[in-house]
Amino acid sequence: MAKVLEGPGMGLMKKWGINVPNYVVVTSVDELTRLGQANEWLKRSKLVAKAHEALGSRFKLGLVKIDLDFKAAEAATKEMIGRQVGSITVTQVIISEMIPHKEEYYCAVKSTREGSEILVANCGGIEVESNWERVKRLCLEIGQSPSPESLEKLSKEAGFSGTLVKKMAEFAGKMFACFDSEDAQYLEVNPVVLRAADEELVALDAVTLLDGDAKFRHPDWNFAFAAEFGRAYSKQELEVMAVDSKIKGSVKFIEIPGGDTAMLPAGGGASVYYSDAVVARGGKLANYAEYSGDPPDWAVEVLTEKVCSLPGIRNIIVGGAIANFTDVKKTFGGIINGFRKAKSEGKLKNVKIWVRRGGPREKEGLDAMRALKEEGFDINVFDRNTPLTDIVDKALQAK
Amino acid sequence: MSILANKDTRVVIQGGQAGVNAARRMAEFCYLIKRPLNVEAFVYPPDAGKSNEIPYGSGLIAIPVYKSIAEATKHHPTLNTSLVYIGADRAMKGGMEALDDSRIKVVSMITEGVPEKDAKILGAHARKLGKVFNGPSSIGIISAGACRLGVIGGAFDNLVLSKLYREGSFGVITKSGGLSNEIIWICSQFADGITTAIGIGGDAYPGTDYVSYLEMFENDPQTKAVVIVGEMGGDLEERAAEWYGAKKRRVKLIAVVSGFCQESLPKGMKFGHAGAKEGMKGEGSARSKSDALKKAGALVPPTFGALGPAIKETYQDLLKSGQVKEPVEPATLPRLPKTVEEAMKADEVMVSPLIRTTISDDRGDEPCYDGYPASELINKGYEIPHVIGLLWDKRLISKQEAEIIKRIMMLSADHGPCVSGAYATILAACAGIGLSQSVAAGMIMIGPRFGGAVTDAGRFFKYAVDNKMSVDEFLAYMKKNHGPVPGIGHRVKSLRNPDKRVKELVGYVKSLNIKTPCLDFALEVEKITSVKKDNLILNVDGTMAAVLVDIGFPVDSLNGFFILSRTIGLIGHWVDQKRQDSRLIRLFDYLVNYAAPKRREVPPLK
Repeated sequence: MAKVLEGPGMGLMKKWGINVPNYVVVTSVDELTRLGQANEWLKRSKLVAKAHEALGSRFKLGLVKIDLDFKAAEAATKEMIGRQVGSITVTQVIISEMIPHKEEYYCAVKSTREGSEILVANCGGIEVESNWERVKRLCLEIGQSPSPESLEKLSKEAGFSGTLVKKMAEFAGKMFACFDSEDAQYLEVNPVVLRAADEELVALDAVTLLDGDAKFRHPDWNFAFAAEFGRAYSKQELEVMAVDSKIKGSVKFIEIPGGDTAMLPAGGGASVYYSDAVVARGGKLANYAEYSGDPPDWAVEVLTEKVCSLPGIRNIIVGGAIANFTDVKKTFGGIINGFRKAKSEGKLKNVKIWVRRGGPREKEGLDAMRALKEEGFDINVFDRNTPLTDIVDKALQAK
Repeated sequence: MSILANKDTRVVIQGGQAGVNAARRMAEFCYLIKRPLNVEAFVYPPDAGKSNEIPYGSGLIAIPVYKSIAEATKHHPTLNTSLVYIGADRAMKGGMEALDDSRIKVVSMITEGVPEKDAKILGAHARKLGKVFNGPSSIGIISAGACRLGVIGGAFDNLVLSKLYREGSFGVITKSGGLSNEIIWICSQFADGITTAIGIGGDAYPGTDYVSYLEMFENDPQTKAVVIVGEMGGDLEERAAEWYGAKKRRVKLIAVVSGFCQESLPKGMKFGHAGAKEGMKGEGSARSKSDALKKAGALVPPTFGALGPAIKETYQDLLKSGQVKEPVEPATLPRLPKTVEEAMKADEVMVSPLIRTTISDDRGDEPCYDGYPASELINKGYEIPHVIGLLWDKRLISKQEAEIIKRIMMLSADHGPCVSGAYATILAACAGIGLSQSVAAGMIMIGPRFGGAVTDAGRFFKYAVDNKMSVDEFLAYMKKNHGPVPGIGHRVKSLRNPDKRVKELVGYVKSLNIKTPCLDFALEVEKITSVKKDNLILNVDGTMAAVLVDIGFPVDSLNGFFILSRTIGLIGHWVDQKRQDSRLIRLFDYLVNYAAPKRREVPPLK
């Protein structure tokens, strides 16, 4: 899943005929000032300014300001740009018009195993979360589009009446068109508001999750995907992602600040069992990592360097199941190079390394790891006869 | 018995190199269980009409490549299963093509990164047709002793260690490819092994889920228990729990679920497979899945590590109740033939080498010339002439000798466009011929009359010096046995019009204070011959030859100095013509003396 920030998310909705407030995304006050000269609405409307970054709790951080005139929006932009929040620097601010309205509603489309589900409620904002039973659903099979009648029925079920039945049905229909055509996995508009000026439904705030795997057929997705965990990707994470996008197979890396057990396991499945084992033993994960699909040794080497550079680590878990086709000797070669480099840079002092692996050329790979002992590494190597996650037990007992 | 893949499974593989690699692994398994190769065809339009060579035992089997599934099933009517190894952007089209063929009943997609929507469409289409669509991102399917689809099961040694050559009693269903092998191994160590193991792929919406296969396992009498390896996200494990709890089932269910670490991670942080995403309000968490499975009556060990003992316990119960018997292991198993390299490494074969070399070795990280690494030669200040010394005469020559060679090369690198070699290269270049062939055309000219006299000159001067001949004796010997003295005489140069190159080289060598018996002798010869005829002077070939013999190069290498140096010039001439985009050239009539008979009538054929 790939999260999309509000700017590009609203752009996609607009493309499919959904009313969105006027908005601009700026990287400096100057840019906003010049846009103010070109766009009447910026001067005329009340405005909202938000930091346009993958940050959680923006309201609490003072990174959302509402009810602004243009001057105040400029001041808010100036204040937000360059703000440092954890590892993130705010580089973009989105300025959108405030829509005077009375009623708030809810509309979402989500992916299901059979196809998708359209969700509609005649309440919105925080009210919908505490009244979840008021959300009504229309289930659709893959390949099926909702008929206008079924949408109106949904609208009525959710408690809409009068002209709003048709308006909400049409809004939901456009949401579905956007979801289906843009390979979305989740689209949520909360709130949908009835604009006082013209009685039209407008999407005020949107969550857009797209299927990153479908990027190849959407040449107009010219935006970057945002991290999904409420912070931007770190430099190290971005570097591993850059390697990942270039290679056959994959390498993954996510930092978890404050942990002392570093992970360097193989396989998307096994890596999570290793993480579970660390947590179950009371350890603190310093990262998540994974390599799989027989990646080139240099890619594993880059991953290893990042893992070795994590601060305050005491153990590195080089785990893995019995590989189908990942060459153990070759990928371990990459890890060994990474270890050597880290050691020559003065890292890995008082760090214990724990290895367990099987698969093609396992004997050669494990022998090469064992040989690191002679180079002064504190390394413990086990083969397939030691159960998968036992090295975690040993590592955390050895404290 | 087994499910999904059995002895009657006949396979077409859609895709290129990844498909061929899978076929190789499948052939290893077929060889282990002494069955013919189950892959009958490939579909890969770029290679249609060709065939892929798949090693089977010590032989090779050619498997034809077709441009479409329809064509493949027409030629191979027994095909019933397709493996899709096509890139993510074209995978759906390929999968649809296979599903729509009436003969194909099972389609397993190995491709990773397939859009969710495409996977759903493929799954729905297969359900509508009553077929199986497995994957995407599936590692494959393996039925012990019967059939392997894809690389699942790993290397040959692992197939044997995991006892995949014969049936056990445990079914396996996993999302993770790597863990499928781990579970197969555990089943073989803690119990009697597997019946069938299936990788359903780690995507959010796989075409077939645990329930699809649990149902099949329930109907397979050989399968007594099923191990499922789940992970957080989605609802596949909950559905499996629901199925298991719905009524009394014949098979025992053992399950583990990953993702408990999620509970202590920063909010929103998720990892693992694409499908491993926890929903809102804790649905799809590892805990809720594991609780649901326990509640349904499945055996759910607390950690992955406890899975082995849990499987063992189940197996012991099955043994006690007489539902399974201890397996009988075959007395012997086929061994995968070793490659020559592997066998040599294990000291099992001796090979008589085809060629022998004494000058260089490229097997390390860089070439060694006569044992010296090229980079070390560079870093210690050695130059091209030293490399020549090492490769032509297997010795590290002195700085002074290197300087002589360098000068020889500089003097003979080129001699204008009119000489035979350069002219031939230019002629070829103008005819549009490539660099190597054009240079070769020039090279062909090097012989007794042009540039190729160095070796012979060296040989005869050396013969005279070795045998302490006087100049007169030498000239008489040459006249009697060989004819003109090689290295003596020039087409245009003469005593009055001396060759500056010879003067230069002789002057330099003479200034070095080294012993030059051959050169001295050659100059004595010139004194006599040039009196007889003005142009019978020591030419550049002869000078080079004498000097090179004096500094110890073997006679047979001498022509090489001219060939090497002149190559510089020939390449220059080719590039020069190319740069000018020269046109094809042809001799003019007036440059030919037409001495053939005048035109006449052809007599009638007798």
